[in-house]
Amino acid sequence: MNYIDLLRESEDLVTLGMSACQGCAAEMCLRRVLQVAGRNTIMTIPPGCMAGAGVVGWNFDNGLKVPVHIPLLDNTASFLSGVSNMYQRKNRQDVNIIAFAGDGATADCGFQSLSGAAERAEKFLYICYDNEGYMNTGFQRSSTSSKGSKTSTTPVGIKGGGKSQNQKYMPLIMAMHNAEYVATASPSNMKDLVEKVTKGIEASKRGFAYIHIFSPCPTGWGHDTNLSIDIAKKAVKSNFFPLFEVDRGNWKLLDNKNPIPVSEWILRLKKFSHLSDNDIIAIQDLADKRMELLRKLSS
Amino acid sequence: MDKKNKIVAISGNKSAAIGAALSKPDLIAAYPITPQSSVVEALADMIANGEIDSTMVHVESEHSAMSVVQGATVAGGRTFTATSAQGLALMFEPYFRMSTLRLPMVMAIATREMTSPETVWSGQQDAVTVRDAGWIQVFAENNQEILDMVIQGYKLAEHKAVLLPVNVCYDGFYLSHLTERVEIPSQELADEFLGSYSCNHVTLDPDKPMAVDPLTSSEILWRYRKSHLEAMQNALEIIDEVDIEFDKVFGRKYGGAIDTYKIDDAELVIVTMGATTGTARVAVDKARDMGYKIGLLKVRFLRPFPSQRIKEVLNGKKAYAVIDKSVSFGWNTGVLYNEIKSAVSDLDRAITSMPAIGGLGGADISVDMLLDCIKKLDEESKNYNGQLATYWFE
Repeated sequence: MNYIDLLRESEDLVTLGMSACQGCAAEMCLRRVLQVAGRNTIMTIPPGCMAGAGVVGWNFDNGLKVPVHIPLLDNTASFLSGVSNMYQRKNRQDVNIIAFAGDGATADCGFQSLSGAAERAEKFLYICYDNEGYMNTGFQRSSTSSKGSKTSTTPVGIKGGGKSQNQKYMPLIMAMHNAEYVATASPSNMKDLVEKVTKGIEASKRGFAYIHIFSPCPTGWGHDTNLSIDIAKKAVKSNFFPLFEVDRGNWKLLDNKNPIPVSEWILRLKKFSHLSDNDIIAIQDLADKRMELLRKLSS
Repeated sequence: MDKKNKIVAISGNKSAAIGAALSKPDLIAAYPITPQSSVVEALADMIANGEIDSTMVHVESEHSAMSVVQGATVAGGRTFTATSAQGLALMFEPYFRMSTLRLPMVMAIATREMTSPETVWSGQQDAVTVRDAGWIQVFAENNQEILDMVIQGYKLAEHKAVLLPVNVCYDGFYLSHLTERVEIPSQELADEFLGSYSCNHVTLDPDKPMAVDPLTSSEILWRYRKSHLEAMQNALEIIDEVDIEFDKVFGRKYGGAIDTYKIDDAELVIVTMGATTGTARVAVDKARDMGYKIGLLKVRFLRPFPSQRIKEVLNGKKAYAVIDKSVSFGWNTGVLYNEIKSAVSDLDRAITSMPAIGGLGGADISVDMLLDCIKKLDEESKNYNGQLATYWFE
C-alpha cells in the first residue's frame, strides 16, 4: 500500500492527551510507528521523553491503545527478550513486539542489554528516537550528543565549550551485530520511515531488528517549533544523518553526492550557536568521513 | 510414569536444578557466577538432552537475567533463574521490580559473601542484604530441603493470596557444592502437587490491552505497598498450608516458617538459619550430654518474618544466641539477631540475648565452635540480663 494511504487509513493508537513539547519529532514518529504496527502489538517505552509525556499511562489510564509497559531505563531489550521468547513459545509469532526508546536508554545505560539481545538474535524491533541527550530530565549530555552540543551538563562558559567528544554512532555499532535488519530513518523522509518500520517488523519475526531515528528537539536544541522537520531534512541532506539500511547483510545507502553544508542547519540551533568556524569545519569533516565509510560499506 | 522416588547423592546446586526442572518452567535465564553456576549448567544439560522443554536465554548479565524472566513472566510464563552475591547486587533494580509488580517466580540464591574484601566464598550477606526488596526468602538446611523448597516455592509464589517471587537461599559451597543423599520425586508427583500453571497476574497481551505499570501517583502507590505487605502476611499462613500439602504428596514436611529441635524443656536456645542448622543439631545433642538445657530454633523464612511463632517459642526462655553469617552495619550485630530481637521485644519479660557472628567469607562454624558459643551464653546469662557483647567465631 502507498504510504500515504497507509497513514490515512490506519488508526492513531496514541492518546491525544499526551504532553510532549510542541514540535516534538519523537511524538510524530511514535504515532506513525504504531499506525504501521497496528493493534496486534506490544510496546515498551522506557523512561524518557515519550514515557514522560504520558504515552504509557497515568494512574489507571492507558496512554496507548495497545498493551504497553515502561521498563527500566536500562533493561528494555532484556525485558522484551523475555516477552518475545514467551510469545514464540505460545506460537503467537504474529504479535509485533516493539521498543521505542530514547538515546540514553539505548546508547548509554541500556546499551549492554541491547547489545546482548541483538547478539542473541531476539525477535523484536528496537527503535531508538535519538534527540541527542536526556531531554526529558532537562537536556543533559548523552553519548549520542554531537560534539560541541551545549547541554545542561556540558554548558558553555569561560572554560566550557559544550560537549568535547564526538557522538557514539549507534547505527553502525548495531549493524555490526549481524542483526536481521538495521536502518536509520528520519521524520523528514516519511515514505522511507514507513517502509523501514514495515521491514523492521517483518525482520523481527526472523530475528533482531533495529531502527535509529533522528529526532529534532525544539525545546532542548533551541529552535523554532515549526522547524523540526526542516532540520531533520537538512541533517539528511548535509550527510550529517545518512539514511541507510542493512537488510540481511545487504547494505543500501541513500547517497547524496551534492550535500548542503552542515552550517545551513546547525547554526539555527541554540545548542550550536557558540561554535567557531573551526568547530563547524570539524563537524562537516566528521559528516563527510562517515558518509565515505558508509559508501564503502554499501558498495 | 514412575511414581517412585529416586534416591541419589547430589550437590545442592544439582538439587536446585532438579527442583526447578520438576516445576517445568517455560523460561530460564542464566548468567554464570560462583557458586551458583552449576545450577544453570545442570539445567542447560537437561535441555540439551531433551529432558525438559524450557527455553533458556543466555543473557549477558544478571541484570538482564532478572529482566528476561520479568518479561517472560509478564508474558504469562513460569520462570526460573539462580544467582549469588555480585550477581544479586547487579540485578537489584529489576529484582525490586519483580516483587513490586507482584510477579511470581522462584530464584535460587547460592549465598555468598559480598565483596569487599574480594571473595568468592560462602556467607549470607548477599541474600539478607536484600531482605526488604519485597521477595519471600526461605533458607534451606540441606540439599533435600533445597529441592523441595524450589517446588514448594512455585506453589507459594503463585498462590492467589500471595503472588510474590520466592528466593530459595542456601549456603554457597557448604550446600551448593556438598554432596548429600536426596530423594528425587517423580515428575508425576510434582505435577500432582503443582498442577498446571495458571497466570493470575498482570500481562502484556494484545488480546487484553492495558498499560502495565504506568506512572502512578502517591494516593494510589501507598495502596500497592499496603497490599504487598498484606500479601506477605498472607504468605505466613500459606507457607504452613503448602508445607502440609507437600507432606501429603511427598511425605516430607519442614514445620512451616520455623523449625525447632529439643526446644520444649530448653532454657537456652541457639537460633540458626541455613546450613549451620545441621551442625547446630549435633551441638545441641552434645551440649545436652554435657548438662546444658539447650534447644534449637531454625528460622526458615526470613521474609515474611515469622515473628509471632518465634515469640511463642522464645517466650519464657532464659537466654538465646543468634548465629549470623552476615553483619548489620551500624548495629554491631548480624542481621538475623536484630530480626529475632524485634520479634520478642514486646514480651513481658526481656530475654537475655547474644549476637554471634561467624562463617563470613567461607569460614567454618564447627560443632566445637558452637559448643564454645553455648558455654559462653550459659556463663554470661547467669550474671547479666540484656544484650550481651557480640560473640565472634574466630
